Amino acid sequence: MAQHITPLSTWKLPEGFQRVDSQVPGVEVFAPVVETAMEDQPTSFTCPHCGANVAYDVSAGGIACEYCGYIAPVRAEQVGRSADEFEFTLETLSHAAHGWGTERQMLSCESCGARISIPAGVLSSSCPFCASNQVNLTAGMDENLRPRFLIPFKITRERTRGLTENWLGKGWFHPNQLAASTVTKKLTGVYLPYWTFDTRVHAQWRAQVGYEHTERHYNAREKRWETRTKIVWRWESGRVELGIDDFLVSGSMGTPINQSILSKIRPFDFSDLVAYEPDYLVGWQAQAYETPLTDAWEICKKAVREQAKEACYQDIPTHHVRNFSMSADFEEETWRYILLPIYLAAYKYENDIFQMMINGQTGAVAGHKPVAWCKVWLAIAGMLSPGLLLGMIGLPLMLLDGAGIVPIMIGIFLFILGVVLSVIVYNKARQSEGKS
Amino acid sequence: MSDIPPQAAIIKETEKLWGTDLIPVGCPHCQRVFLMPAWAGETSCPLCRQGKLQPQDVRMRPAEPEKLLPFRITKADLENIYDAFISPVWLKPEDFKPDRLLRRTQPIFWPLWLVDTLATGHWQMEAGFDYQVQSTKETYANGQWISRKQIEGRVRWEPRLGKVNTQVENVSVPALEEHENRKALTGGYHHKSAQVFSPKLLGEAILEAPDLPPEDAWPTALPLIKNRLAAVCARAAGAGHQRNFAVKASYQDQHWTQYLLPMFTTYYLDDDAQPHILVVNGETGSIQGPRLASRKKGNQIGLIIAASAAGLFLLALIGLILSMVFPPAGLIAAVLGFLGLIVGGAALIPLIWPAQWNRKQRGLHLVTGRHTQ
Repeated sequence: MAQHITPLSTWKLPEGFQRVDSQVPGVEVFAPVVETAMEDQPTSFTCPHCGANVAYDVSAGGIACEYCGYIAPVRAEQVGRSADEFEFTLETLSHAAHGWGTERQMLSCESCGARISIPAGVLSSSCPFCASNQVNLTAGMDENLRPRFLIPFKITRERTRGLTENWLGKGWFHPNQLAASTVTKKLTGVYLPYWTFDTRVHAQWRAQVGYEHTERHYNAREKRWETRTKIVWRWESGRVELGIDDFLVSGSMGTPINQSILSKIRPFDFSDLVAYEPDYLVGWQAQAYETPLTDAWEICKKAVREQAKEACYQDIPTHHVRNFSMSADFEEETWRYILLPIYLAAYKYENDIFQMMINGQTGAVAGHKPVAWCKVWLAIAGMLSPGLLLGMIGLPLMLLDGAGIVPIMIGIFLFILGVVLSVIVYNKARQSEGKS
Repeated sequence: MSDIPPQAAIIKETEKLWGTDLIPVGCPHCQRVFLMPAWAGETSCPLCRQGKLQPQDVRMRPAEPEKLLPFRITKADLENIYDAFISPVWLKPEDFKPDRLLRRTQPIFWPLWLVDTLATGHWQMEAGFDYQVQSTKETYANGQWISRKQIEGRVRWEPRLGKVNTQVENVSVPALEEHENRKALTGGYHHKSAQVFSPKLLGEAILEAPDLPPEDAWPTALPLIKNRLAAVCARAAGAGHQRNFAVKASYQDQHWTQYLLPMFTTYYLDDDAQPHILVVNGETGSIQGPRLASRKKGNQIGLIIAASAAGLFLLALIGLILSMVFPPAGLIAAVLGFLGLIVGGAALIPLIWPAQWNRKQRGLHLVTGRHTQ
């Protein structure tokens, strides 16, 4: 039998491939090398020139040594909104990589229970959530999923001073002695964990929709023709499609981080997303997520299905709706675990703890401030007194000759106005303290 | 042909290969070559029915049979198959009858090559791995949300490559030039009941000889071998699917054997006494072939109906003449004339229908081309 031999070109193993197990004898199999970046051994970050500790420098955009001026740029790919998204595979959690990839320690605050990751070598730190110094070292949380992407800090520590001063300066009912420097000193740059979700929702609704119908009828009692509006109900149905892109859910729910303040310093610009590199965390704090993926996804789904319901209602041409039902099919659901940059400060004022946050990317500021209640009560007294005064003048005048009715009426009006303004000011003061 | 050995030697040679005394015979009309038992009598070519099979002094290629798919269809089955096949045909030719088809039935084994080879080289592919994702369907009714989780299967594609040094066995490769036509007519086999070849399994069947030698069959065999390698490499990579497979390999130690598939052929004669071959799959009973209507019969029936119409017209004419003296006869003449029109129109149906029916039977013929060994 003739042999059919095809000349073979020399075979070379392509770069980036490695041998994997073969299920069939006589067949060798090579697969792409699994990215090892996520499986790095813990590394120490020290200056190669002087051996001092280094940290990520926001203005330099790299790791910098404050002693000798050494700067090494971070070699991270800017991925932006196209950053990889992950499906909800049944193996997601078991296959996900673990740990932080660099030598960090977990601090557990005995006062508020918060757990934060701090750079190696820092044995104690002030808790950014409750300002307590009572912290203990605990074992690292190796069961956590690794963060895949982050937005690096863009706002320098120096700039936070100006932003803080500006923010503290707003509002008249705060203590005069609340100096910016006190708060600025407490500001800690923290990478907070977030989940982002993408999905498409195909919603189908069915409801009885009412259409207003005007008709003329003869009113026998009144003996005349009249018009009346009747609602005609019809069963109708429709379809609505909804695209959800980068729905953000905090991974720090259940921690002392005030979620309402956190929501006020949004949004973040996801075009700045970069692939996770431990370099960005050097010298900064970073918090691992407390809210697991499944819980965060439930939060997202609840919000999205309400959005879908709202979209269905908007699809209905009238506002008369009854027996409404709908279904929402979620498709192409994906998630990301990212870290977002936030400056946090927790400061004490007269035995009360206040939180303040700065968006580390955009500089948006939000937080709670102490209130000088004497100023508030004075203001309230000032607002109520014109009305009361006019009432006090008007009452005897009215008793004497009945001419006091005008000042009494003006006094009542001013008093009501004063009460309304007082309630607004009081509520604002309470909100400022974070006690509303 | 000078080096062809005498027939006695050929029989001896085939006996050695096939384990039974077979002689090579050929059809002078379609040039096909068969092997038939030496004891069998004179028979017409089962595939063209236009020539008598004659012993031929040809050297058979030394490709021994390896596997065989036995006949499962019995004579009783065939009778039913023919009956069901013929029944839809109106105006069938005189010769197109189940008993005649049955009498002319000839069992045949037709060949496929089975190729074994050692493949050595390197390969690459996109390997598909099955995985499952969890999706959600939310339903809102009566002011309440109900959440239902759904599991969906998906395929993740990843590049894989490697080296191969493996024996590929029993790749089925066409051994006939008309393989595709034959496959279409027989409708495919299940192959599950294939057995190791034994001369006892041949029975009275004639064996059709391959007309595609391995050299000519190789271009067809290569992609089939590559397909087999793709499946092997996918299995090696633990993948459930593969695509864009490419392999660069040498194929050594080739071994070509035959795999025999069962079929029946029979025929009927049309109006012009031309034979038309029907093919029955010997395993599944699927039957294919042209089932022609008889134009001759159609013409005869059409003419009879037309003559009836003419008679009615004649009666109508007589009625018309009578109506001059007996007016009510005019009404009868009109009715007869109308009936004549309808019957005359109906005469067209048997004239036209056979041609229309036969047009649909195109493409169902067994290829009867040139065949040389």
